[in-house]
Formats: sequence, C-alpha cells, structure tokens
Amino acid sequence: MEPLILALGWVGLYAPLALGAIGSMIGCARAGSAACGALLEVESGYGRYIGVAAMPSSQTIYGIVVTMALRRELTVENSPGIFGLGVLAGLALMFSASAQGSACAASINVSKNKLEIFGISLAPAALVEGFAVFAFVFALVLAAGIPK
Amino acid sequence: MAEPYITLVSSLPYLPPFEQAERSPITRLRLEQRLHNLDTDDARQLAKAEALVSWRMSLAKPKTDAEMVLRSRAAMQDISQPALRAFIEFRIDQQVILAGLRQRNAGADASVLEPISGASRWVRHIAAHWGDPNFKLTAVYPWIADARTYLDSNNACALDSLLMQVIWQRLGHIAESNQFGFEAVFAFVFKWDILQAWLARDAVQAKSRFQDLIKEIKEIKEIKNDS
Repeated sequence: MEPLILALGWVGLYAPLALGAIGSMIGCARAGSAACGALLEVESGYGRYIGVAAMPSSQTIYGIVVTMALRRELTVENSPGIFGLGVLAGLALMFSASAQGSACAASINVSKNKLEIFGISLAPAALVEGFAVFAFVFALVLAAGIPK
Repeated sequence: MAEPYITLVSSLPYLPPFEQAERSPITRLRLEQRLHNLDTDDARQLAKAEALVSWRMSLAKPKTDAEMVLRSRAAMQDISQPALRAFIEFRIDQQVILAGLRQRNAGADASVLEPISGASRWVRHIAAHWGDPNFKLTAVYPWIADARTYLDSNNACALDSLLMQVIWQRLGHIAESNQFGFEAVFAFVFKWDILQAWLARDAVQAKSRFQDLIKEIKEIKEIKNDS
C-alpha cells in the first residue's frame, strides 16, 4: 500500500506542470491556428494576433510554480494531500488553458475585421485567465498546509 | 465540439448584411483558394450542395420538376453532413412552397404538385391545404404570408429580398452552431453566394452606374466636338 501512496504523491507533484502544459498546448494551437488564418486577411498588426495566441501559455507557468510549491520529501503522510491538490490544480489549469484558447480564437476571428473591438473581445479570455489564477493562488495557499 | 477549420474560418472576411453591402469582400478565386483547406470529403459535399441549392446554381438548371427531384435525391445520397443536409432540405422546402404559390396563382390545382411529390416532406401537406392562402404553414414558415403578398403584386425584387433574408438568417444560426466547424464554412459560402447575387441585381447601383456611363460618354463626345 505504501508504494502506491508514494506513487500517487509523485503523480500529484508533477500533475500541475504536466496538465497545465497539455492545456497550454491545446489552447495555443487553437488560438495560433486562428491567428494564422487572420494573417491572411489583415494587412498589418500581425504581432497582435500572435501575442493573443500565446495567452494560454500562462497556465504552464502557474503549473511550474505549483509543482515547485508542492516539492518536498514524499512520505505516506503528505502524499495523499499532494496528490489531491496537484491533480485538481492541474485539471483546473488544463481546462482553463484549453478554454482560453477557444476564447482567444474567437477574439482573433471577430477582431480581424473590426479592430476597435480587439480589446473588449479579449474579455472572455481574461475571465478564463482569472479562474486559472484562482486555482493557482489557492493551490499555493493550501500547499503550505501539507506536512513537510 | 470539433473545430477542424479554425484557420480556414479565421481567414475568411466578414460578410456584411447583403442589403448593406457595396462590394463583395472576397472574390470567388480567393474564396476557392481558402477552401482548399477543406477536407476532401467536405469539399465534395459542399460542391454538390452548391450545385443543388445555391442562389445562383452553377450547374445548368434542371429543365423539369422530375429532373430536379432526381438530381436532389442523387445529391442527398452523397451528402452525410447533418447540418448541410438540413440546410438543403430547408432550401428545397422553400422552393416547393414557392412553386406551390406560383402554380396556384397561375390557376393550377393541387395535382400539379404530383411530379415533385418526393421532393419535400411538405408536398402532400400543401396539396391537402391547397385552398388555404398560406397552405397552413405559417407556424413553420412565417415568411409565406409576405411571399404570397409579393407574388400577388408581382413584386419580384421584394420577394427575392425576403427569401434571401430568410436564408441569410438561417445560415447565421447554422454558423453560430459551430463557429469553427464545417457549418461555419458552408454557411459562409452560401452567404457569399447570396451577397454576389444581390450585388449583381442591385437596381439602384445598376441605375447609378448606367448614369455614370452615360455621363462619361457625353463628356467624351463634348471633348471631341470641342476639338
């Protein structure tokens, strides 16, 4: 039983980074595809679209920080906590990055023809980012309560 | 939801409402280039649908109703995309209802619909309610009353505008159902087709252009006379 609990601890330790990175890959690919399409249609402001396409990469950074915060010597006492916190934080980051990619793609699609709505069209993507930040911050707060 | 055409949809320009458009935002050649990104099977289905129900059919129009029914049945066998099938059925229903209204205006009776009995689910219904002004279909197709009014007053321009508007709205809903899917792509293509048809038949624009040409010719004539 003990090796299994320790294995789960390792899963939880790496989950925020791995799941966050998977979400960022999906999100950046979605938004990047939209940006590539928009480049065919616009005459200038290419950097703006590529910049938006990079927005879902922040979840990987949050994942790195959470993984570092959870890092400690794994024991039977702290592994369940690390597993629960790490996996749930990772899932939250993964889904938020994927959803943010869709929001960014939609923003790029609509703003390429109407530049004045570029800022406001990013609001949904910013909201999704906000939820990722909640998950990130509270993962850090709760990580402090896991036994060393 | 599958989003296979994010790049393609993002590369398509915004289509303004056709009645407000002054020019087409994309040429057919450019559109074809963008549509090369479609999956082969989707492209084939779209081409079949275009030949069947686009506003300006690219293939020769069928000469008889029976030929039209045969062609639509053959095309529908090759079209598997549910949203595209639903749109084709919607367009065929629209054409059948208009055919019914026109035939009734011309004094024909319900038996005239027999050759197209397999074309639409509404043919029997229309024949059964031939005496009703709107074939008792207003609840399903609210535009019928207006279409009948325009037909009665021989207002072809208003009738075209109404039908285009109905299709345009339908395509808008289809595109919203899957923003980066095949639905958005084929909705764009059919909307673009309507836009082209509208621009080609804009009476005011044609008159204005005609007057400009006359003015130009007069000016050239005056210059020649002066010299």
